[in-house]
Amino acid sequence: MEWKDVVPVLAGAIIILVVAFVVKPAFLGEQTPSGSEPVVVRNPPVYVPPDPVATPTPYPDDGPVYTRSFRWTAIDGGVQTTVVRIPEALFHEQRETPRLSDYHIWGRYALADADRPILEDLARRIVPPTANPEEGYLRLMNLVFFVQQIPYDTDDNAASYIEGALPPHVMYLKSGVEYPKYPAEMLVDGRGDCEDAAILMGGLLDALGYDTVLLRYSDHMALGIRMNEFNPYYAAYSPSYFEYKGKHYYYVEGTDFEVENVSENTTAVIGRPYPIGNTRDISIPSVRTETPEIIPLRYLPIPKEHYIRPARLPVAGEG
Amino acid sequence: MALPALPGIKIPKIAPDRKKAFLAVGVVIVAMLLLVFGWTLFVSYSEERQVEVFRDHIAASEADLGQVSARIIAHMSTTIDDLSLAECDAYVREFAAIASYGRAVTAYHQQIIAADTVPEAYVGAQAAYLRALDNLNRAFAFWLSAATAYEMRDYAAAEQNLARADEAWRDYITAIGDYEAELRAAEERGEVASPIPGTSPGQGS
Repeated sequence: MEWKDVVPVLAGAIIILVVAFVVKPAFLGEQTPSGSEPVVVRNPPVYVPPDPVATPTPYPDDGPVYTRSFRWTAIDGGVQTTVVRIPEALFHEQRETPRLSDYHIWGRYALADADRPILEDLARRIVPPTANPEEGYLRLMNLVFFVQQIPYDTDDNAASYIEGALPPHVMYLKSGVEYPKYPAEMLVDGRGDCEDAAILMGGLLDALGYDTVLLRYSDHMALGIRMNEFNPYYAAYSPSYFEYKGKHYYYVEGTDFEVENVSENTTAVIGRPYPIGNTRDISIPSVRTETPEIIPLRYLPIPKEHYIRPARLPVAGEG
Repeated sequence: MALPALPGIKIPKIAPDRKKAFLAVGVVIVAMLLLVFGWTLFVSYSEERQVEVFRDHIAASEADLGQVSARIIAHMSTTIDDLSLAECDAYVREFAAIASYGRAVTAYHQQIIAADTVPEAYVGAQAAYLRALDNLNRAFAFWLSAATAYEMRDYAAAEQNLARADEAWRDYITAIGDYEAELRAAEERGEVASPIPGTSPGQGS
């Protein structure tokens, strides 16, 4: 056997290899067994920041305003007064705003950005800032009493609105007429029902930095205020609270301010506000028998699971 | 019928040459050995290369997921107790933007890693990692739906979407666990272990 005989054998072997691993895959569109080539990362996704939220145009200071005077009995028995001015443009804009029947979003009414400066100003006047922490409860109660003493009126009563007629966006639900008012509307109308009082009180307390929630019963709405171990020695009742996300929210009534004559011979009346946590003396049966649904003023979609777990990489060079 | 004789045909004589015969057999054996050895080298190189490419793609995916994770952690650590309504809305918009980013990143790397050809031992790891990316992608899609529901003021729908997102996220965690188990199994299967200097198991982003 000569070398000239060996060459064709080797050439044949090479041809077989080339045909098997290059020509055939090329014709059949198969991947070569040399491994997938790295994909060139040319356009990896990038984070696109969201558009900023549009900020509302402030109402002009010199525009027409509704001026409302309030008079209420404070916790010390003294009578207090204050005046609230609300831009007419704000009031009319809110009157023209459609309402949402889902009570889960009613906290947004309490936190309306346009109402915020009005509520902050009013809250400061009802409870002026003090350096004495002992006065915290008294200040809180003064604000609660202020709201409780705003006259109650149902949503289906035209007298509940300054126009003397139902607003265009009242909702006709199975349970009856419903119209949750913005705090500014409640102040201009000077009256409202339970959810209006809870919304106004929630807005005022939030402006003072208190953590509050709406408490919804089958036929009533009240407010819950977060407190730690509220159990005043002088209370003749066990303060009612409800737990939400590990926090205690004590019941606060926004309406149902009981009024009674001072004596039989006079028309003068005296009010009896409801202190924090007192559900025993509330005349509404559902408050005494039901556990309310807790609705936070602020709702944010926050997932429980959000931790991305780093994965181990394959050891390079193995195969 | 008698066959006519074939006149003049002679069977050629083969002169046996032992040396040439050995040479011929030797050439054939060498050629076969060359083929087998070459093929083995070729396959071995190919598989190493496949694992390297797979590793690079996982590393790229983990690096990008690390970026997503940093944004999520920063977002989730925002104090939300006293946000104004406008700030709440901005918060949710950022949440939606992160969800979109997460979806894009997971879809992108899913496509790349799915196109990888890996050695048979790594097929399970590849499938598990793709499953993890798919679950993460679904979770981000639910985040996006929750943000949209918030914009529509449908908080109940937002909560439902978040619950489904949490479920998908837990599936993602399970799939990552599967991936690591598959990877360990593939590496323990006794394939040649020759780590490149500077790399070590357990590296992640």
